[in-house]
Amino acid sequence: MHDAIYLLAAVLLPYLGAVVAALLPANARLLAWLAGCVALATLAMVGLGFAAIEAGGLPRFDLAWAPELGLSFSLRMDGFAGLFAFMVSGIGVLIVLYARYYMSPEDPIPRFFAFLLAFMGSMMGVVLSGNLIQLVFFWELTSLFSFLLIGYWQNVAAARNGARMALTVTAGGGLALFAGVLILGHIVGSYELDAVLASGEAIRAHPLYLPALVLILLGAMTKSAQFPFHFWLPHAMAAPTPVSAYLHSATLVKAGIFLMARLWPVLAGTDAWFNILCPVGLITLLLGAYVAIFQHDMKALLAYSTISHLGLITLLLSLNSDLAMVAAVFHTVNHATFKASLFMAAGIIDHETGTRDIRRLSGLNESMPFTARLALVAAAAMAGVPLLNGFISKEMFFSEALTVATATSVLHGILPVAATLASILAVTYSLRFIHGAFFGPPVDDLPKQPHEPPQFMRVPVEVLVFLCIVVGILPSATIGPLLDKAVRALLGDATPSYSLAVWHGFNLPLAMSLVALAGGIALYRLLYRHLNAGLEGTPLLGFLDGRRAFEQVMVFISWRFARALVRLMATDRLQIQLMLMVCTALLAATLALLPHGLAAGDVALTAVDPVVAIIWAVGGACAIAAAYQAKYHRLAALVLLGSTGLATCLTFIWFSAPDLALTQLLVEIVTTVLLLLGLRWMPRRIETAGSGAPLARLRRLRDFVIAAVSGLGLAAISYAMMTRVSPDGISREFLTRAYKEGGGTNVVNVILVDFRGFDTMGEITVLGVVALTVFALLRRFRPAPESVGVPDQQQGDARDWLLVPSVTMRLLFPVIIAVSIYLLLRGHDQPGGGFIAGLMLAVGILVQYMAGGTRWVEDHLRVLPLRWMGFGLLLAVGTGVAATVFGRPFLTSYFAYADLGPLGKLPLASAVIFDLGVFALVFGATVLILIVLAHQSVRSQRAAPPPPPVEALREPAIAGED
Amino acid sequence: MIWTLALPELVLAVSGLVILAAGVIPKRDTFFPVSMACVGALLLTAVLVLGQGDGTALSGHYVSDAFSGYMKFLALAAAAVGILLSLDYNEKEGLARFEFPILMLFATLGMMVMISANDLLSLYIGLELLSLPLYVIAAFNRDSGRSAEAGLKYFVLGALASGLLLYGTTLVYGFAGTTNFDRLGEAFSALEGVSPGVVVGVVFVITGLAFKVSAVPFHMWTPDVYEGAPTPVTAFFASAPKVAAIALLARVLLGPFGDLVGQWSQVITLISLGSMILGGFAAIGQRNLKRLMAYSSIGHVGYALMGLAVGTDIGLRGLLVYMAIYVFMNLGTFAVLVSMRRQGRAVEGVDDLAGLGRTDPVTAMWMAVFMFSMAGIPPLAGFFGKLYVFLAAVQAGYWTLAVVGVLTSVVSAYYYLRIVKVMYFDAPAGSLDRAPSSLTLVMAGTGLFTVLFALWPAPMLAAAQAAAAALLG
Repeated sequence: MHDAIYLLAAVLLPYLGAVVAALLPANARLLAWLAGCVALATLAMVGLGFAAIEAGGLPRFDLAWAPELGLSFSLRMDGFAGLFAFMVSGIGVLIVLYARYYMSPEDPIPRFFAFLLAFMGSMMGVVLSGNLIQLVFFWELTSLFSFLLIGYWQNVAAARNGARMALTVTAGGGLALFAGVLILGHIVGSYELDAVLASGEAIRAHPLYLPALVLILLGAMTKSAQFPFHFWLPHAMAAPTPVSAYLHSATLVKAGIFLMARLWPVLAGTDAWFNILCPVGLITLLLGAYVAIFQHDMKALLAYSTISHLGLITLLLSLNSDLAMVAAVFHTVNHATFKASLFMAAGIIDHETGTRDIRRLSGLNESMPFTARLALVAAAAMAGVPLLNGFISKEMFFSEALTVATATSVLHGILPVAATLASILAVTYSLRFIHGAFFGPPVDDLPKQPHEPPQFMRVPVEVLVFLCIVVGILPSATIGPLLDKAVRALLGDATPSYSLAVWHGFNLPLAMSLVALAGGIALYRLLYRHLNAGLEGTPLLGFLDGRRAFEQVMVFISWRFARALVRLMATDRLQIQLMLMVCTALLAATLALLPHGLAAGDVALTAVDPVVAIIWAVGGACAIAAAYQAKYHRLAALVLLGSTGLATCLTFIWFSAPDLALTQLLVEIVTTVLLLLGLRWMPRRIETAGSGAPLARLRRLRDFVIAAVSGLGLAAISYAMMTRVSPDGISREFLTRAYKEGGGTNVVNVILVDFRGFDTMGEITVLGVVALTVFALLRRFRPAPESVGVPDQQQGDARDWLLVPSVTMRLLFPVIIAVSIYLLLRGHDQPGGGFIAGLMLAVGILVQYMAGGTRWVEDHLRVLPLRWMGFGLLLAVGTGVAATVFGRPFLTSYFAYADLGPLGKLPLASAVIFDLGVFALVFGATVLILIVLAHQSVRSQRAAPPPPPVEALREPAIAGED
Repeated sequence: MIWTLALPELVLAVSGLVILAAGVIPKRDTFFPVSMACVGALLLTAVLVLGQGDGTALSGHYVSDAFSGYMKFLALAAAAVGILLSLDYNEKEGLARFEFPILMLFATLGMMVMISANDLLSLYIGLELLSLPLYVIAAFNRDSGRSAEAGLKYFVLGALASGLLLYGTTLVYGFAGTTNFDRLGEAFSALEGVSPGVVVGVVFVITGLAFKVSAVPFHMWTPDVYEGAPTPVTAFFASAPKVAAIALLARVLLGPFGDLVGQWSQVITLISLGSMILGGFAAIGQRNLKRLMAYSSIGHVGYALMGLAVGTDIGLRGLLVYMAIYVFMNLGTFAVLVSMRRQGRAVEGVDDLAGLGRTDPVTAMWMAVFMFSMAGIPPLAGFFGKLYVFLAAVQAGYWTLAVVGVLTSVVSAYYYLRIVKVMYFDAPAGSLDRAPSSLTLVMAGTGLFTVLFALWPAPMLAAAQAAAAALLG
């Protein structure tokens, strides 16, 4: 139980400290104390946890987090995790101490410590996670906080770019890792680390092993700056030096190494593992070391050397050998100690002299002797000088390289040579670091007068250098137990016997070390002149610019590719969008039908009636012609559309649906006329679009083909549907009950006024509201004068326009009224009814508008649509209420017939009164819309020449009610 | 007929009508009280939704279950926040008409009908009730050519999509003989083979719905409409209707067409892939935040549909969680966008955010939270949304989806993080006006949800689990 608390505290304490630090005022001393205490406490927690491991336990902490997904928040610390936790928290303490003196008071200190502590917590989360998803979670957090730390100096462009590059590469890699972990979890069936580590065989044998491996390694390689993702690391040097010292020695870049080692038992051991990692590690090792020599900035030199050492560790991990694994873990620790101290030394130099340029620095040995000694030792450890920790792990590396060189492959064979070469380069850049800065004649043109740093700023370096020496001399007594626990946690019973002694006798690895030292010194002497010439860039490899490549890739993805995609996939032109939608639907339907096809149904077909065939042919032709004319001659298109509608009406009649046909006919007429009125506000025709350019013709042809294919396709599917037996609807029930219960033989009308009387009442109410709304919207509407030409009919001299038709239409008016009343009265039993009758009467008025023009009608006719509507609505409601007066439910109908002798029988159902209400309302509403639309033509008259004096302009009746 | 089951819808409809009448009568401007009344009505409805029982009503046209409850609650919350977002903006832009919140209210009613639809016809009615107010509010800024264009485009394309959906409904009815979801489900599971005619019908129905969620290849209207419409309207578009349309898609596909999963899963997979890829790449080049958010929403719909393509209860649960998280972080982002004004004029460019980290640290912090969350970076809520759908895709063996999803997340992270960079690292482009309190409230609320979700994911997961179980039985 206590162990669990230690673990939880080790992860949460830094976050807690971060929150507190962010809230505190900018007091450097206070904040440093806080951060230092937090880091120390964390270290203590790790120590306590490790003590539990020593006692043979495995500290864990589990908390149900998202139990529905089988995910729990679990922390677990074995020897390996403990080793890393020690590094993270231990070096963290030193970094805080160092930063206390390094950071200048002008910097926003609270932010710095808050980010640093949060980063530390995230790193602890990564190494202590007992669950892979959770590991990815913390992994991404480290990317995030490293981004914030690297970009800490926001006003420096290099910091911003470096931060963004680091985030893009590492967070992107993190997402790849996420995908890999998901696959891994799928193979194992659990994301718990214990379960994953227990099923190595199953993982390696699984067909998804390779994708999982590649994705996970992508994550690790981006984080650990392996070639070709190494380029972000040198650019991250724009960060404050404590950050670089922390991130690039023990923490951020080691996370990738940690992951590879953590999963080594389950993922390694295959050819794929070796073939991916070995070349990558080898190239990183050599490239980093080579480029490091030619850096003039001390931190850049250290950055490339870090890359090189990370490559070395990766190479060791790739060898699929247990001993190499031990060497890798050991070198990770060693590298952390000497690299952190070197970074801090570089920071001290930068802090005290104002520059990090090796070309400008010289002879600092005299002005800052202590620092010089410390840096000398650390650099010697980096170069692999005996009696220092770097030497021991390098020896192990050499002997591993020699062991695997016995294998037949070329890659194995060249390893010893490559290892020696890399060591020569390492000695060279270490020498350059030390000799360039500390030896030679003192210079006095530095930005600051160099002197020793404050005593406590040096303490962290001293501690680390001390560790380098102690481990180098007494390895098995110091690091031995820790390393043993770590390696056993990874390898278990397979842990090989290894020796951590300084002296193994005269053997080949020792010879290689000596060759490396001698070669390195020789190479430095050889290059001395060239290096001091102060040339920028790396000889031979100047073309390899990771940053430029990165930026080119970024530009490609973010501009060229993105733009191409937008051009391809997006348009703001409506026509194309419509076309694409139709095409997609067509394609989808085709694909759906392709496998099976769609046969016509088995309903017996009636013989083709030649008359109907002709009507259809005409209707179809009209539809096509309408589409053809739509762009160039809207009026013609509209008239043709009307004809198509007419053909449909005739078809309904032929199918013995006169009622439907009548309704359709009237709807057609009303909509056509309304559209005609709408045409007034459209430009008459688009003159320019009809160009006969080949491209335009081609485009039209394409549109035609699409339209034809879609239309035919729809027709075919509809045909297939209609030739099947139609599903049983409720129509049969209505048919049987219409006369019996509703007293009418016109089923549609009975449904409207009786069965569904309540619905109808609602509908006519809505219709009334719509008419009022249209009226309200258009009442004051005036089309922009410049968009409307004055029609010929309104030019003063066109008095005799359409004389004969207009007289005919006027004569027809009473007839239409009579027919309308006839339709209303017979509606209950035969085609007709209030709805149709109302529309019919409205058509009568409409015709008068067409024949006589707006002004004539407004002068001669006085319709009060609002009264019609009110009367209709009241009548309908009244009929319904009347039923309740007789003790029946609302809208119950009564029916009987009145015998009118020679005039025939008149149905006297109460429903007829209801129908009368419908009639009145439909008429009123339609006419209201009509009036307000028609009146527009008079309104736009403003721009026209003065009207003839005879006819005074009068507002219509309805407009008076404004 | 158990009409009381539909009480939330009835209450909302009646409140809408009452508020409309009350808003017309006074001579003075009633925008603010009407907005508040609408928010109140939405909240009241949300409470009723929480207490709603399970079952079907209105002759099987209406269904209420845990799934509908979850989605309705989400839609109602999003609509209420949408109205809050419009309060200040509309006043300043001269759009403060009382019809605006009422139209949003009726659109929300349409969404609820959609979510509870148990019949292709009630589905259609709900969809139209949703769409018609949206057409109007897209063009609400009548003096702006862009706004009018947005409304018109949305209307023309939306009408075509509705037509396709209706045609699909007809085909389904013609070949299967019913439009009721329960009976359709029975018909499909009973029959040996399914008529290809039905499949075509389903395809058309999916097409119509895919338009509403603006998934590829029906996405083209989105950037134009999002950019042209007033910003609060865009915020509304990108949240509540998406929830409703996704809910409908899930109910239709997993309910009646659940046995045809082999037929539609590929379609949804393709749509999802296309949306993720387009949403990832096309947004990169955008300089206008609203256009960028349009592409981002396309991408997010792609991720959500990944859960649907999988077709399992885990996938559906992922979808539900994703939508909830998406809605909240999206509304938060739009709260920032709506608040962006410089000297009283609304600005909407990415560059206008430059230096916000210094000039308005609080707003910048929330925006950064939302951007990191959208990019799927832990521990913010957006990460979990992605996590759940990716988990589902992987468990069901949809590798392509999972891998493409992860890769496009990387790509989209690029543009989200660029916004963070612009805010914190670029030189200030002159400070923005102070955000009004209604917007900071929304930012803080959604922001806290985004940040704190990681601590208590269990309640939402449990609700999503129950909802998924209700749908899949």
